[in-house]
Amino acid sequence: MAPAAPPSSVGTAPVIRVDGVGIRFRRNRRGRRSFKDLFAGSARRNRPGEFWALRDVSFEVAPGEAIGVVGRNGQGKSTLLKLVAEVILPDTGSVRVSGGVAPLIEITGGFVGDLSVRDNVYLTAGLHGMSRSEIDDRFDEIVDFAEMADFVDTPYKHLSSGMKVRVAFAVISRLEEPVILVDEVLAVGDRAFREKCYRRIESLLAEGRTLFLVSHNEKDLKRFCERGLYLDGGRLVHDGPLQEALDRYAADHPPRPTA
Amino acid sequence: MSSDVARRRPSPAARYRRTLWLLTSRDLKVRYSTSALGYVWSILDPLVMSGIYFFVFTVVFRRDVGEEPYIVFLLSGLLAWMWFNGAVSDSTRAFLREAKLVRSTKIPRTIWVGRLVASKGIEFVLSLPVLAVFALVAGAELHWQVVFFPLAIVLQAVLVTGVGLLVAPLVVFFRDLERATKLVLRFLFYASPVIYGTQNLPEELHLAAAFNPLSGIFGLYRSAFFPDQLDLLEVLVGAGVSLLLLAVGLLVFRRAERAVLKEI
Repeated sequence: MAPAAPPSSVGTAPVIRVDGVGIRFRRNRRGRRSFKDLFAGSARRNRPGEFWALRDVSFEVAPGEAIGVVGRNGQGKSTLLKLVAEVILPDTGSVRVSGGVAPLIEITGGFVGDLSVRDNVYLTAGLHGMSRSEIDDRFDEIVDFAEMADFVDTPYKHLSSGMKVRVAFAVISRLEEPVILVDEVLAVGDRAFREKCYRRIESLLAEGRTLFLVSHNEKDLKRFCERGLYLDGGRLVHDGPLQEALDRYAADHPPRPTA
Repeated sequence: MSSDVARRRPSPAARYRRTLWLLTSRDLKVRYSTSALGYVWSILDPLVMSGIYFFVFTVVFRRDVGEEPYIVFLLSGLLAWMWFNGAVSDSTRAFLREAKLVRSTKIPRTIWVGRLVASKGIEFVLSLPVLAVFALVAGAELHWQVVFFPLAIVLQAVLVTGVGLLVAPLVVFFRDLERATKLVLRFLFYASPVIYGTQNLPEELHLAAAFNPLSGIFGLYRSAFFPDQLDLLEVLVGAGVSLLLLAVGLLVFRRAERAVLKEI
């Protein structure tokens, strides 16, 4: 695998460009809203009860890089991932992703309980931009990977939760997209399947895909990633080789405070 | 394998169409695969409604609204009303019902409304044979104005999309709007020429009725059997209002999209 690219590497065009991104959420979900808020310019207003989940985050990712995002809970890691997946939009700055994204985030979200596994595979792969003939070509492979050959015509709702995740992972990881986003979904499933997922991610990386991984598991991060982003308080505190990011994180938040 | 990474991708418009069709067909598939009666359910509702109004207005009261045969007059308005009513009331839950799906894919967000318009629209088109059967049985005469049918469908699609784009994001912030919409729809049913024609309204209400885009649209549908129901003013004003609603809907949708995605 290629050595860690320095953050400001030039040469190839970046596949992900995050520029001055900030996003704000309401603290209390039931806060009152007025029509005025809705139509006021989103960058200008600043009302009490809101907080910046991310602020002034900028970085670029070159094709083929594997990036691990570290930080404590609630520091904006998943929000950053969702921004890169473009399923939420920033209040300030811009996110540009050239090519498509295979988001392993809420992967079972698109599946419909009443439809069969087969219909669901076609639906989800289609929603992520695969054409019918492309899915036809990969269908057997997807079903094999998920070890679901006997269940293709079973309604999705009758599967066990582990099986559901297996199908979902098999579909999303089969998307021919240049960027893969992973948000700790791999914590589910039995050990054998998890190892299978990890090998799939490694083979995707070897093919030159870009990986964006959010995890609390240092072992997983070290296995896949060369570069680390450390988020704290909604700001990008450190961007560099993974080990540096992990060290910085460990220094700021000692893992065993009493030791 | 790595050549696949750089595979050609379809144009955004083609992808939009494909995704819209994918979700629409899923809607129809789910509806028809979960109930034994499937298709029958989607036409049973307007049929029962027509039966009730037919009974009330031809047996109980002495009716002097609409035209003969009244059952054809009723159905030609009611079937189109079911499309409008179904799509608008479903659009109040367009984001809430599919929150997980909206959160996990980055497809253009207007599709969440578009697919409701399309699936209800397809159900409407599929229910048209029922109208044809009743027209045959009741002996309604078909006129050349039947060519306006496609135009009416396009106008209604514009109108329903506009209203849906307006309602769907606002409901996310104002949950009360869901109930308010249901109430307005019930009012609108009687305020629109479904069980009567606009000619039955008092003279001073004719202009007001023209500003209800459903008047012009239902007039276009009905002119296939009842040419007198076609009123050019209603069609023109209705088309203008529909297009205006679509423009406002798109604008509101775009402004609210960012906040909607955070909220769901």
